[in-house]
Amino acid sequence: MPWNYDNMSWTDVRDLFRTWREDSERKSEDVVELWESILIEKIHKLGNEKYLVLEQVCVAALDCNRLSVAKECIDLLEQEFPGSLRVLKYHAMHMEALEKYDEALKILDSIIKRDETNAAPRKRRLAILKAQGRITEAIKELTEYLKKFMSDQEAWHELCDLYLQEQEYAKAAFCMEELILHNPHSHLIYQRYAEIKYTQGGFDNMELAKTYFAQAIKLNPNNVRALYGLLLVANNIALSAKCPASKKKDAIKLGNWAATQIQKRYALKATEKDVKNVVDVLGQLQLES
Amino acid sequence: MAELLLDSNIRGWVFLPIVVITFLVGIVRHYVSMLLASQKKVEVHQVQDSQVMIRSRMLRENGQYIPKSAFIMRRHFFNNEETGYFKTQKRAPVSQNPMTDPSMMTDMLKGNVTNVLPMVLIGGWINWMFSGFVTTKVPFPLTLRFKPMLQRGIELVTLDAAWVSSASWYFLNVFGLRSIYTLVLGENNAADTSRLLQDQVSGAAMSMPPDPKAAFKAEWEALEICEHNWALNGADADLLGPQNTPESAESIYHQSKTN
Repeated sequence: MPWNYDNMSWTDVRDLFRTWREDSERKSEDVVELWESILIEKIHKLGNEKYLVLEQVCVAALDCNRLSVAKECIDLLEQEFPGSLRVLKYHAMHMEALEKYDEALKILDSIIKRDETNAAPRKRRLAILKAQGRITEAIKELTEYLKKFMSDQEAWHELCDLYLQEQEYAKAAFCMEELILHNPHSHLIYQRYAEIKYTQGGFDNMELAKTYFAQAIKLNPNNVRALYGLLLVANNIALSAKCPASKKKDAIKLGNWAATQIQKRYALKATEKDVKNVVDVLGQLQLES
Repeated sequence: MAELLLDSNIRGWVFLPIVVITFLVGIVRHYVSMLLASQKKVEVHQVQDSQVMIRSRMLRENGQYIPKSAFIMRRHFFNNEETGYFKTQKRAPVSQNPMTDPSMMTDMLKGNVTNVLPMVLIGGWINWMFSGFVTTKVPFPLTLRFKPMLQRGIELVTLDAAWVSSASWYFLNVFGLRSIYTLVLGENNAADTSRLLQDQVSGAAMSMPPDPKAAFKAEWEALEICEHNWALNGADADLLGPQNTPESAESIYHQSKTN
C-alpha cells in the first residue's frame, strides 16, 4: 500500500511500525521507505523503542537488499549493546545477505556456544542451509533442533515444507499431525494435512483425506480450496476399485454436495456467465478423475 | 477535643524529609538491584524437558483430532517400556535443599541485600531520627483500631486516630510510593515488553517443575490411561446434514445384506 508521506508525522509512523511489529507483518519495503523519509531524523525521540525500531528496519533493509541501511542499524545497535548476542545475530544475517555463508555460520555457532537455549541462531543456521539448497542437511539439522525444542510450531511447519520439497509425504504428514495437536481448530492445517494425504494416495489415505477436508469445511464453510479437495477425494474414492458399493454411493453423494457448494459460492461472487464456465470446468474435473 | 496545631517546622524537617528519603532510597534500590541482577541461566535440557511436557500434554488434550495410528505412534514414542522418552530420559534429581545450591544462595542474598536490609536500616534510622513526631492528619475520621497502625511510636490514648506519627508516615511512604516509582522509572516501557517477547520461546522453561523425574512419571501415567476417540469420525457425513440420516440407515441395511 502506498503511503502518503507528506501527511504522516513521525508519531504516526511510530504507531504504524508498532502495529506491524505486534502483528509480525514484515512489509519490508514500506518500513525502509518510511524509515528513510520520516523516522530516521526523529530517532532520538523514540526513547527505548528506538532499538526495537532499529531491529525492525534492519531486517526490512536486509529483505530489500539495502545493505547500507542495515549496516547502519547494526552499527547503532552495536554501539549501544556491545557484545550482545542479539546484535550478533543481526551481524550473521548481514553476512548471510552478502552470501558469506561460512562467516555467518561461524558467528551463529559462537552464539549457540555461549547460549545453548537460544533458538534464534539455530533457526538462522537452517535458513542458511536452505538458502544454499542443502535441503537434506537442513532436514537433519531441523530434526535435531526439534528434538530439543519439541513444541516449536514454526519449526514443525518448516520441517513439513522441507519434507514436501523432498516428496517425503508420510513424514510431512507427521509434521502436520503435530501442528494439529498444537492447534486443533485451524481449518488451514486440516486442509493441508488432507492435501498431503491425498497426494500420498492409496485407499486408506483417501478416506483420511476425505475426513480432514470435511473437517476443514466444517470449521470454515468458505474454504473453497477444501471444497475442491473434497470433490476430488470423493471422486477418487468413488472410482477406486477397493471401494465397497455402499461407500461408493456415499462418496458420490459427498462429491455432488461439494460441487453444489462450490457452485453456490461462485454464484454469490460472480455473474451468471462465470458460473456457467465454472460448471463446465467442474464437469471436466469429474471426467478426468 | 481542641484542634491540634502543628509547628510548620515539623512539615519542613520531618514530614517532607521522610517522603524524599524513602523516595530516593527506592530509586537507589532499583538501580542497585539492576546492577546485582544476574541473568538466570537456563540449561538446554531444562528447555527440552519443558517442551516435551508441553508436547505430551497437547497429545493428551488434542489427540482425538489425529488418526488413531498417529496417536498410538506418538504415545509409543513417549511411553514405550524400553525406548519411550519418559522411560529412557534420566535426569539427576534436583537437590531439595536450596542452601546446597550456591547460585540459589547468592540469589537469596541479593534479594535480602536489596529489599530487606535497606528497609531495616532506613526504618531503624528514621525511627531513631524522627521519633515521636505527629506529622500529619488524614482528612477523614478513623476508628480507634487504626491507632496502632497510624500512630506507631506515640502512645497517647486521647489523640484522635486520624493523626499520623512519623514512623507510620515512613511505612505509608514505603508501601504507597510504588506507583510513583513506576511513573518515574517507567516499569512498563517498550524495553520491558520486548524482553518478554524475546523470552517467549525459552520462557516456558521457567515454569518447569523442579523435579523432572516426578513430572515425567506423572505425565507417563496420564498418557498411559489416555484413550483415543477419533473426534473426526463422521465429519464428512455431518456435512451432508440431517437429510443424510435415512440414507445412513440404508447403508447399514446394505452392509448387513452383504454380510
